Amino acid sequence: MEDNKRYPELRRRLSPGWWTANRHYTMYMVREWTSLFVALYSLIFIYGLSLWAMGSRADFLSFLKNPAIVGFSLIALVFTMYHAATWFYLLGAIAPVKIGRSRTKPWQALVLNLILLVIISYLAIWLLVLR
Amino acid sequence: MSQDIATIRVTRYRPEKDAKPFFQEYKVPYRHDMVVLDALNYIKAEIDGSLTYRWSCRMGVCGSCGANIDGEPKLTCASFLHDFKGRTITVEPMPNFPVIKDLVVDMEDFMEKLVKIKPWIIREKETPPEQGEYKQSAQELERYSQFSSCINCMLCYAACPIYGLNEKFLGPAATALAYRYIEDSRDQGKDVRFPVVHEMEGVWECTLVGECSVVCPKGVDPMLAIQKTKILGATNAIKSLLMPRGGH
Repeated sequence: MEDNKRYPELRRRLSPGWWTANRHYTMYMVREWTSLFVALYSLIFIYGLSLWAMGSRADFLSFLKNPAIVGFSLIALVFTMYHAATWFYLLGAIAPVKIGRSRTKPWQALVLNLILLVIISYLAIWLLVLR
Repeated sequence: MSQDIATIRVTRYRPEKDAKPFFQEYKVPYRHDMVVLDALNYIKAEIDGSLTYRWSCRMGVCGSCGANIDGEPKLTCASFLHDFKGRTITVEPMPNFPVIKDLVVDMEDFMEKLVKIKPWIIREKETPPEQGEYKQSAQELERYSQFSSCINCMLCYAACPIYGLNEKFLGPAATALAYRYIEDSRDQGKDVRFPVVHEMEGVWECTLVGECSVVCPKGVDPMLAIQKTKILGATNAIKSLLMPRGGH
């Protein structure tokens, strides 16, 4: 057989800006990047908890009331909500539930999970704070 | 019937002559029912016989004629010229594959992966034909039928950035076909296919970009197959942890 590797291999590789090529890629990248805020917020919160564990509840609360932390938390909340919504949607896309002859749509999983999120969050706040 | 003129920009790359690929522009008169593949055939027949591309059936069945049309992986036989009216149509070879010449890419890697997942029904023991066929209900068929529509056109690989970064990734179509047999009630080859789909560069490499399912010309959802395979693998692992002596 003829040697088909006579010429240098030409393969179009991904360029650093590949994710700007179409809307789906960009949305995927936004979804992945928003997870950074989730991670950063977790680290900040763990640090806050360590203040409480080693110091006092007042240290913890004053750390959380720092305007920079409040500001970051608000930004992180927006990105976390977006990140959660994308995964709720994907959950519906990869694990549709069969009801009778039809299957559930991804947006139905999104709506149901958002409702559950609100209910569970409220229950947690009620148990820990309001009760 | 009046004819419009389409301007088509095609990637040319002849490794024996060209150091780098370049674009060549052609003007093609077309009718309303003509597709990009018809334009390529017109160029080859009437303008430039050296243009090289793959094609066979012209009806979205053989999966030979995939290319990047205006940056999107598509079958050239399923892309109407009138949809691009008034603008130049750019036709490039599918990305993520080595280019052999012009629009022709090297399919070897995918072919090897296809064989690896053993895309046929595996039985522990074959029964003679006289004993009849392996029966299957409509519900059992429904579990895998969409995945059996794959025509191996590799558009999903061209759309997959994970494959673009790491060509060892088993990829969308091969996994969709592996899942097609794993879910087939007549198949008994799960133990043969599981190690292939669950190795490091198997399904776990996928990060759910989802573009494979967007570009599939046959309505197959490889992203779904990959995630379902992950779920099967994870539940199997938990089962074997809880019931080491056979929880199948």
